[in-house]
Amino acid sequence: MEESVDTATAILASAAVLLRERTFDDISYRALADEVGISERTIYRQYPTRAHLLAALSNWIEQTRFPLPPFVTVSDFRAAVHERFRAFDASPAYAYVGARASAISPTLDAEPAYITRAIEAMLDVAVPTLNRRDRRRVAASLRYFSSAMFWARLRTGFDLDAGEICDAFDRAVGTVLAKLPDATLAEP
Amino acid sequence: MTGSTAVPALSGTQAAILAAYAELIEEVGSDDVSYRVIARRAGIAQRTVFRNYPTRVDLLLATAAWIEATVFAREESHSIFDIPLTIRDAMQRYDARPELAHVVAETAMRGVSGAAPSPGRAQLERLLDAEVPSLDPAERRAVVAALSHLDSVGTWVTFRREFGMDRRDIADAAAWAAEAVLDSIRDRVAPRFIS
Repeated sequence: MEESVDTATAILASAAVLLRERTFDDISYRALADEVGISERTIYRQYPTRAHLLAALSNWIEQTRFPLPPFVTVSDFRAAVHERFRAFDASPAYAYVGARASAISPTLDAEPAYITRAIEAMLDVAVPTLNRRDRRRVAASLRYFSSAMFWARLRTGFDLDAGEICDAFDRAVGTVLAKLPDATLAEP
Repeated sequence: MTGSTAVPALSGTQAAILAAYAELIEEVGSDDVSYRVIARRAGIAQRTVFRNYPTRVDLLLATAAWIEATVFAREESHSIFDIPLTIRDAMQRYDARPELAHVVAETAMRGVSGAAPSPGRAQLERLLDAEVPSLDPAERRAVVAALSHLDSVGTWVTFRREFGMDRRDIADAAAWAAEAVLDSIRDRVAPRFIS
């Protein structure tokens, strides 16, 4: 099985190289097989559909290109997301793959992303007595405003750069945290 | 996405193709549908499908826009402060048609080669400029961007996938977040809109 793990990684690494010159839709299994030096059939065995390939490619890019800085406090969370948005801006082709992969119907039993768990853990510490419904509303809102989707929407739909997207993110986070009874968390 | 989503006028044949493809997406997913099957479902020749939509990407983007404008059509809002209601309704519509919702969500995240990710932007700006004209440019941009982000199928996808929320919880949380965004401008409405 070790060989197939290496093959899977080699396919993703080659797909990432091809992404520099074409969109994900223009990367055929044929071209990918040629790039890796394996048969098309091997790629189909690893990634039965393009949705599987997209999901795996996004995870791999996430780990290798956009590692999330750890955060515990709200201000660390803001800083971590700013760093990610700037990294997205520097490698837009990779970031769009992440945004797309998070929008498709999950191909496997997808676990929630690491950032989701980290936001929940942050709220456990920051507002330990907050009721369950409000906690989920806050967590879901923060998660959604810190997503690759937010970056992609603001870049494509609003033509904003990383600095402007970080500003819009900070303001959105501020409005969500202002809903909390605990005023200490509402500080930037 | 609120109110008038701009969709190019379609011929009867095009509408039949897009409706047929949308039906098939709900039955078997977007990956496995051939032009032959789409043509048969629409009751037309396969070459007619190719003539109208030369590539699968063309077909998918046109179908996503059609779904957004028909299946997920919104009632026009007359106030920026009604947007949370619109969002609540939209989330429930997405939940009823999950396959179509994912198609719309994914095509909007492809960058410039994809579908427009914020079709409701102009409408939000119109409402906001009329009702709350005193915002500075950065404030205005942030409010429109946040509401536009929340008033999209990405919200439904993310809340469902990352938090396992059901239809009611998604509608509740999305509307709540929109109310939070509006809190910052709630008492800054131009006098002529207050009666």
